[in-house]
Amino acid sequence: MLIFAVNRILILPKILSVISDIPQWEKFFRADGLGLYFLLVIATVSIPIVLSTRTYIQRYLQRGMPVRAYLAIFSMLLLSTQLLVLANHAIAFLIFWELMTLMAYLGMLLEKEKPEVQKGSFIYFCTTHAATFVLYIFFFILQRHSGSWYFTDFHFTTDNGWMFYIACLFGFTAFGIKAGFMPFHFWLPWAHPIAPTVLSAFLSGIVIKTGIYGIFRLIEFCSPLPAWMGLMILAASLFSAIFGVWYALAQHDIKKLLAYHSIENIGIIGIGIGLGVIGISYSAQSLIWLGFGGALFHTFNHAIFKSLLFLGTGTIYQNYHTRDIELMGGIVHRAPFFVALFLTGSIAISGIPPLNGFMSEFLIYKGFFETASLLGEYFPLFMLLMSVGLAFVGGLALACFTKINSVMFLGTARKGNHQFNVSVTDYLSLGMLAILCILFGVYPQSVLGVISTVITYNRWGIIVQPFSMFAQWDVITLVFASVLVTIGSIIVWKKVNAWQRVAPAWGCGYPLQTARMQYTASSYADEINNIASAMLHREKHVVPPRSIFPVRSHFSSHAQDFSDVKFVAPLYSYILSKINTVEFLSRTDIRYYILYMLIVVLLYGGIAIVWTYF
Amino acid sequence: MDILLSFQGLLPFFFIIGVSPLLVGLINKQKALLTGRIGAPVWQPYYELLRLSRKETIYATTASFVSRLAPVVSFSAILISSLMLPIGYVRPLLSFNGDIIVFAYLLGLARFFQILGAMDIGSSFEGMGAAREATFAVFAEPIYFFTLGSLAFITGYTSIYDIYHSIHLDNPTSIVFIIVSSISAFFLMVTECSRMPVDDPTTHLELTMIHEVMILDNSGIDLFLYQYSSYIKLMVYAVYEASFFNPFSMQNHWIGFSVFLIVLVLLSSVVAWVETMIARFKMKVIPQYLLFATAIGILNLLIYTFVRH
Repeated sequence: MLIFAVNRILILPKILSVISDIPQWEKFFRADGLGLYFLLVIATVSIPIVLSTRTYIQRYLQRGMPVRAYLAIFSMLLLSTQLLVLANHAIAFLIFWELMTLMAYLGMLLEKEKPEVQKGSFIYFCTTHAATFVLYIFFFILQRHSGSWYFTDFHFTTDNGWMFYIACLFGFTAFGIKAGFMPFHFWLPWAHPIAPTVLSAFLSGIVIKTGIYGIFRLIEFCSPLPAWMGLMILAASLFSAIFGVWYALAQHDIKKLLAYHSIENIGIIGIGIGLGVIGISYSAQSLIWLGFGGALFHTFNHAIFKSLLFLGTGTIYQNYHTRDIELMGGIVHRAPFFVALFLTGSIAISGIPPLNGFMSEFLIYKGFFETASLLGEYFPLFMLLMSVGLAFVGGLALACFTKINSVMFLGTARKGNHQFNVSVTDYLSLGMLAILCILFGVYPQSVLGVISTVITYNRWGIIVQPFSMFAQWDVITLVFASVLVTIGSIIVWKKVNAWQRVAPAWGCGYPLQTARMQYTASSYADEINNIASAMLHREKHVVPPRSIFPVRSHFSSHAQDFSDVKFVAPLYSYILSKINTVEFLSRTDIRYYILYMLIVVLLYGGIAIVWTYF
Repeated sequence: MDILLSFQGLLPFFFIIGVSPLLVGLINKQKALLTGRIGAPVWQPYYELLRLSRKETIYATTASFVSRLAPVVSFSAILISSLMLPIGYVRPLLSFNGDIIVFAYLLGLARFFQILGAMDIGSSFEGMGAAREATFAVFAEPIYFFTLGSLAFITGYTSIYDIYHSIHLDNPTSIVFIIVSSISAFFLMVTECSRMPVDDPTTHLELTMIHEVMILDNSGIDLFLYQYSSYIKLMVYAVYEASFFNPFSMQNHWIGFSVFLIVLVLLSSVVAWVETMIARFKMKVIPQYLLFATAIGILNLLIYTFVRH
């Protein structure tokens, strides 16, 4: 299996060369900077994911599940995603887009007998199909305008009047749904938890990034976007970032929590894109570099640490068979090295130095300062609010990841005394990703050079400044290296002066502390969540102990998504009520359905004729 | 890399790590005097550090490698962040574009590990302290960006040294900035360094505290590292606060240093006075208190925006 999947990655250039031998197909694919950069992201992350798949499927193999089909689907998913970012033809792009969406959907159905899997995958299926539909319209508008299906021919400016804004609206909606920007994020927390965890890693690390890739392409086609659109992107992204992490804080389900963190990180990437858009419209080179550079770097970083966290979650799930973090605890005593790897990913995603998450946020912060000083006017005020927002997001992410690491790993086991097995391949794949987290954090120059090339040779505008102009990278490396050296030397000093003893924990005079008395995830996050409980639709059900001999007390809390409550559920019930009016179409005879299909095909044909001749 | 060659740059660092226990001693002495006691000598924190460094380190049975690592990381991060702060007119060793962000996030690294170290024991007391620390940090972070950060947005500099030295007294709005920022920064210092009225550093009972309860299970070298890093942190925030008064130093090294020292001593008196006069707030009120400090910080930028236009 492993060889098969690795082959899929390695064989790709060969397939491409075969394809390019056919003269007409040559133009269908184009490996420009942006496409190759995303290809790099996909390839880097899929190797550890494929490695982890090896151990992850063991459990399904033992249960005699259709693993072979899953592997074929996953390979197809890998391939279609890689071809997607190289496509230069709108139809080819749409085919791979559809293929990717469908393969991800089929992959989710591995445990299809579970009702939650059916529900979650169906939500994913509907939402992404709505996105694809909107995407069709977007490309049709572009094709109509430029008279060509090739990406290289697409060029749309504000001179084209209101059609430009319509195209932007459709494009941003389609790619925004895929990427998971709020309020289009609702499918993510449903779809990610139910997929096999290795697939979740790929979905969260790569598939939602194709939405970001699309937005980058959109900025290329529709250039220059007006500055107010940049500000809109900034506002929407900050909204996604703050509420993504705040919802995450209220979750107990580890995969749902990580899904919400994807929304947060997509928001951070969006902030970078927004800065870049403002940079284009004011033709400020440094802003384009810092904004798009931050966004591209964060895309890579998020792919790395999110797949690290999801793969780690997969290992935990295999041992505990639950996603509820309240039932875990004390894993650190059984697998300290595994916990260290997971912790690396957690520090990185919280945007804390010296790991990679910080470096991309640093670029975006620099972008704020640059915008304020270059553009003046009211921009310092906006940018200050943005930076405060990002700092707030950082604070919440810190709270969230200290929460899950503490509750899952530290303390003592809350339920049962599970064995905790981590296979060698898991260590290998997690270790690879953790090393990348550290490398990109301490020595970001390694990627920044690549990103610089990507941005320089793009249609956004040539940038002449080398990336060393934007910050003193060597000094930052030095700072982080000195932190690591200080930590190392103090550890050595502690070891030399070893005079230590192990004793029971100090219980403040209370004897017999049990595992159930530990701080839980909900109590940890309670204070922060109380502040926003109205927004979070958070409900607490409390039956406090009453009378002298309390019989039964009960506490439970759960948070609902505002978009689920206010947006999706009303829409769903509205559609349901309307569908009832066409219920007479529902027949038992299959011939009726063939007739319906015929009518639809004729309808499409009619539209196509109208499209071509008018 | 000429900044590396300047030995001068190390002077603020040595000042901060050398004098920080003295600042705590000074506050304690003044508190004692205000409540009519003689109090411990101002050197007491040095003795305490010395005593702790010689003690045996005891780990809980439930402690893992996280407990052993947390004090070290927390101490190192605070130590390195103190290398970025200027004193008077001396450019610190680590001064580069964007150090304002690195500084804030290094303190975040310290906090991350301190929380993990507290949660490692599995004791509900420490969990409570850690949860509070995480909550209040969320609301404290914006204050930093509304004080030093807003000056960065106004002046266009992103290095802490440059930001402080771009404030000049000939601009009347600068005086407003100094007043507003120093008030906000004081609130931030009180929160981050776990002083009254947010946290009580003197009690040793569990339920009243944030910082003290988190280090309940640490002893020996670990406690030494935590205590020393909390002293340095107090000093770091004191320097952060005192540097707003830089413009009064008339571009002179020695006057600058004297102004700095005077502000530092005054600051210790204010802290001591506040701790004597005000009781600790209810935990529920603290986010409001922090939001109030944030709101003051917003004034900075509003004034700037409306003066310019």
